[in-house]
Amino acid sequence: MSTPLLEVKDLHKHFPIGSVGFSGKPKQLLHAVDGVSFSLERGETLGLVGESGCGKSTAARAIVGLHPATSGSIKFEGHELAGGSTRDWMPYRRRMQMIFQDPYASLDPRQTVGSILTEPLKIHGMGRPSWRKTRTMELLEAVGLNPRHIHRYPHEFSGGQRQRIGIARALALEPDLIICDEPVSALDVSIQAQVINLLEELQERFNLAYLFIAHDLAVVRHICKRVAVMYLGRIVEIADRDDLFADPQHPYTRSLLSAIPHPDPIRERNRERIVLQGDVPSPLNPPSGCSFHPRCPEIDGVPGDSCKTIVPILQKLSETETRQASCHLTCPR
Amino acid sequence: MASPKDSRWQFGSGNMERLLSEVAAHKGESLWQDAWRRLRRNRAAFYSLVFLILFGVTSYLAPLLPIASPMALTLQEEPQPPSWPWDNTNLETSPGARATGTVGSVLNNGWRHRSVVMFTSEGGVLDSVEAELSEMVEEVSGRTTAVNRIEAKAGKPAQLFFAIPNRRDDTPRTDWADTGNTGEVTFLRAEDKAWLVLDLPIDETLFNSWSTVVSGYDGSIYFGTEAGDDAGIRFRFRLSERFAGTVVGLTLNGRALSADGSINDLELAEPVIAPLEWDGAEKEGDTPEVPAALASIADAPIEEPTADILAKFGKDEFLLLRGSELEEDTRVVVQSGASDRTLFVRTRVDAFEQQGTFHNDLKRQIGTALQGLSLSDGATASLLDVEIENGYWELGTIDQAMLSARAAMFGLWQTGNWMGTDSKGRDIFARIVWGSRTSLLVALIATLCSLIIGVTYGAFSGYIGGKTDNAMMRFVDILYSLPFIFVVIFLITLMNEYKVELEDNFGVEREQVFYLVIGAIYWLTMARVVRGQVLSLKNSEFIEAAKVLGASTPRILFVHLVPNVLSIVIVYLTLTIPAVMLFEAFLSFLGLGIEPPKVSWGTLAVDGTEAINPLKIFWWLVFFPAMAMGSTLLALNILGDGLRDALDPKLRGKD
Amino acid sequence: MLRFLLRRLMWFAITLFCVVTISFFMMRSVRGGPFDGERALDPAIERNIKARYHLDWSLPKQYFQYIGPLNLDEHRAELFGGDGAKPFGGVLTLEFGPSFKYKDFTVDQIISQSLPISALLGMVAMMWALALGVSAGIASALKRGSRLDLAMRIAATGGIALPNFVIAGFLIIFFVFMLPLLPVAGWGSVKHMLLPGFALGAPYAAYIARLTRTGMLEVLSQDHIRTAHAKGLAPKTVIMRHALKGGLLPVVSYLGPAIAGVLTGSLVIEKIFKIPGLGTHFINSALNRDYTLAMGVTILFTVLIYSMNMIVDLAYTMLDPRIDLEDM
Repeated sequence: MSTPLLEVKDLHKHFPIGSVGFSGKPKQLLHAVDGVSFSLERGETLGLVGESGCGKSTAARAIVGLHPATSGSIKFEGHELAGGSTRDWMPYRRRMQMIFQDPYASLDPRQTVGSILTEPLKIHGMGRPSWRKTRTMELLEAVGLNPRHIHRYPHEFSGGQRQRIGIARALALEPDLIICDEPVSALDVSIQAQVINLLEELQERFNLAYLFIAHDLAVVRHICKRVAVMYLGRIVEIADRDDLFADPQHPYTRSLLSAIPHPDPIRERNRERIVLQGDVPSPLNPPSGCSFHPRCPEIDGVPGDSCKTIVPILQKLSETETRQASCHLTCPR
Repeated sequence: MASPKDSRWQFGSGNMERLLSEVAAHKGESLWQDAWRRLRRNRAAFYSLVFLILFGVTSYLAPLLPIASPMALTLQEEPQPPSWPWDNTNLETSPGARATGTVGSVLNNGWRHRSVVMFTSEGGVLDSVEAELSEMVEEVSGRTTAVNRIEAKAGKPAQLFFAIPNRRDDTPRTDWADTGNTGEVTFLRAEDKAWLVLDLPIDETLFNSWSTVVSGYDGSIYFGTEAGDDAGIRFRFRLSERFAGTVVGLTLNGRALSADGSINDLELAEPVIAPLEWDGAEKEGDTPEVPAALASIADAPIEEPTADILAKFGKDEFLLLRGSELEEDTRVVVQSGASDRTLFVRTRVDAFEQQGTFHNDLKRQIGTALQGLSLSDGATASLLDVEIENGYWELGTIDQAMLSARAAMFGLWQTGNWMGTDSKGRDIFARIVWGSRTSLLVALIATLCSLIIGVTYGAFSGYIGGKTDNAMMRFVDILYSLPFIFVVIFLITLMNEYKVELEDNFGVEREQVFYLVIGAIYWLTMARVVRGQVLSLKNSEFIEAAKVLGASTPRILFVHLVPNVLSIVIVYLTLTIPAVMLFEAFLSFLGLGIEPPKVSWGTLAVDGTEAINPLKIFWWLVFFPAMAMGSTLLALNILGDGLRDALDPKLRGKD
Repeated sequence: MLRFLLRRLMWFAITLFCVVTISFFMMRSVRGGPFDGERALDPAIERNIKARYHLDWSLPKQYFQYIGPLNLDEHRAELFGGDGAKPFGGVLTLEFGPSFKYKDFTVDQIISQSLPISALLGMVAMMWALALGVSAGIASALKRGSRLDLAMRIAATGGIALPNFVIAGFLIIFFVFMLPLLPVAGWGSVKHMLLPGFALGAPYAAYIARLTRTGMLEVLSQDHIRTAHAKGLAPKTVIMRHALKGGLLPVVSYLGPAIAGVLTGSLVIEKIFKIPGLGTHFINSALNRDYTLAMGVTILFTVLIYSMNMIVDLAYTMLDPRIDLEDM
């Protein structure tokens, strides 16, 4: 088996909260990402879903090196990136890019589209200035914008157009992997479809791999081949899209999927919905054992109190399956 | 480098070259352009901007404008009451009447106070007397003078005032020529404290120079002068205690110089050692001005002009010249080894260029010159007095160039006192214009200080974050809670004690420290504003995007952060400038700001409020400065508000 | 709440300590002493004077004498070998020592005489500012766009832009000399307070008017006001009972800086109107090298302004429950 494009193992990201005491230790640790592992092949799309605050974005930011990971490994084509210096990261910046959530905040308002798109080329010393200019225009054309608009400013574009500029900026470095941090959640539904189609088209054209972060299951279902579900800093289930949507294993996944409305009004009326009790626990003080256990509707299915004491491990359901879940119910010890 | 790296990234659309020529037509509008457009549409703010620009240009071009001088230049001996020109058509205050008085001073290389020479004249045609006297005064002083005259009134003779402008490099001495004369000083052993009496046969015109020559010897020799007979003058020295037992006499040999360069033979009487019989209380001599003009020989200069020159006599050592009294041009040499009884000291003062007029000596020089002057039509003129007004207002090269340009363009013509004159006869309009220079300069420099400190501090604090940020902001909080005006007044009064040292040793004037002090206050808010902005920008997605692209920290700072913080900094700057101007006025009002002869709006307001009295309301002294200040501050406030609206991205697209 | 107060007090103590220490050593290290007059003093007299003000002591000893709370001179506590007549003293016991220039007074006496005058002047100024500012602001908000509004706004911008001593000059010209209604200077009766109070309060009145106008306009356009109108309440009731409360919020938060500004602004106004208040004493003391008095006034104002700010912060939280004291 060849090395996967991106392999993340046991990624942790903790944030110190509150003032630092005299001992030099912070009062509390926020466990934003608490042991995330997955791998991603070339040209593949992995969806990362979960409710807000579950650590999706933090994981993405740790993977691109915006927040240094507390522990764990991030391997890009087998090269360890976690803990590397800015210098170590530089060659992989060209391989791995990111698209941000808010198209209004992710573009420098005081730069023209041209200079926004030329900046990555300049940083990495790609091409001569004249080539950069035509390249910028080509990039604009590639994302479906009018290449004549390189002298305009971000505020002169609509949200969808701005997101296209963001995509063009990520494409400028000719990456193999693009991490999309909720790229469409800030857009109108009609625009969402356009942007997603563009992403798919670009994937085909440039053989890109996407790590697609979203909380909208419909979007994920549309674009992703595989889907990982996150809850409170951990991945609770990874499976191929069809498997996951057809036969979710983890109780949390089940409750998530049950919330998708159905287009058929009759089936929608009769749809069984799993409504979770209580709130998401604070990541400052995650529950012991399975972090889902205080809200789990199927806790009675597991004998004893292993849910409350033992942290379930993400593992394959069986040797032959590709699906992985972390639940005492599916993979009893 | 080969790029793109593989074929899939080869877009291969060749039509981009063709499009390149079209893109210029699709220029967007940057946020700056957008803000500028919206600012222009905001009429009040735009007119304020125009007003401020016009005002700034006017105040910068003040030396070029044919306005009266902002300094006391009516040349009258007594202050005139403030006058309002439109009350009555008084010729004296009509345009041009005082032009000579102003331009004479303007043409010299600086605003400063001057020496005023006053004559009275009886009989004769005043114009010719004025011309002759003027020629004489200019010849003696070596520079252009300004004239003002008061015609003869009932019983009172006509008076003529000549203003001779001082220059900063004027030296308080006359021009001594090098004539190669030597003077010898002989010290004789004294048995006890004693008076030494010297009778010198010199005439009165040499009195001043001689007194300084002798006094230059040693500060510890007290001397007094006695009016001798007509033939000469008698100096009495009381030898100080340190000379007791060592020195008994002093002789001066050879010839010495007079101030005008003529050489007088001196016959020195034998030193008489008289018993202590001085009648009056001891008198301290004039301050030694010319320490070593005794004689001149060419010889090696003193290495360190500040060193004291000591003479050894036997085993006794005593001070001949104090280093602090020496000028760099002085050269002293001990010519021969001292014999048992005699020591020769030769000093020399180099002839130096005529740099200035010795204003203390001016009276004597003009008096001498006046004696040789015969006025036309049998008029007589007598010298009343020479007054020196101190103070200096240095102008830079550009200002001097503008002054010359003004003289070339307008000659002696100048505007009248449109806005009246103040209690010293100075033109209010000119003072407002020149005051605006000071006030604007204070405001700009202090604001610049606050900008530099505040932006650096705030950006650093915000960008570093964490504990450092916390500590730095706590410090700002502490400073915020201080009653700053009190601290500043306290500081400025303390600093006044060291004013002279600061000026002499570091070339720092009070005003410069004053700018810094004001700037050091107003950085606090700036630091807070910038920090807040940096904090919010630091975590914004476009900064993250730049980081993901691999941008270096300097690049993020200067390409992304600075331009985005700039707009709020600009807004805050426009609002700081009026605050600083108010503060300057406040401090000047309390007598702690700008010092005369310089003028600022603060000092103008002080003059105005001080001139308020129940007898006559000199409203123009209050009104015009207040209008100038009020309109400028108002314009700055409106502009600041307008800029805030124009640069606020939330309001973009709305009006 | 208590934690907030305690923390604020701690910072206050630190600030005050720094102010006192730094200014003490600065004024003692400065060259020109308070007794360096034009004439050289007789050495014996100079010695006596120095002994009286303890200037012959070592600097640290002088410092501790100044800070207190223990008195160190011959009247110190019997425990330390003194006669016990006055065991305590210094800043910590609210004693600022003798004035260097007003030879028969202590700083405390001068302050206790002049503080009520300054406080009264400040109160008059704040009353002017509030009365004029709020009523002008309300009037111009209610008659928005009218000539009255325009005139009020021009007056307000003028008031902000002109320094108070210029305003004072105009006032004197109009009300003293042109219309001889009020005395030109001095202190004692209500008549004496009107002009200085107004001149001192005018810039703040202008600012308050602006704040009130903006605040009122904002409130008047809100739904609950429209509802109140729709219910048929009399316009007066709507404004007095509903709109005013919300519209004046920004004014309340401005009161802290305004009071601090009035206190410092009185330096100039007291000088113009020759009012024997704290400001006059401070300026005189600074110019006459009367350092104990200058320090006393500085410390007093530090305390005043700091407590003003603290009260305003507290008032903030009372008025706006969204602000958490822990964050401040």
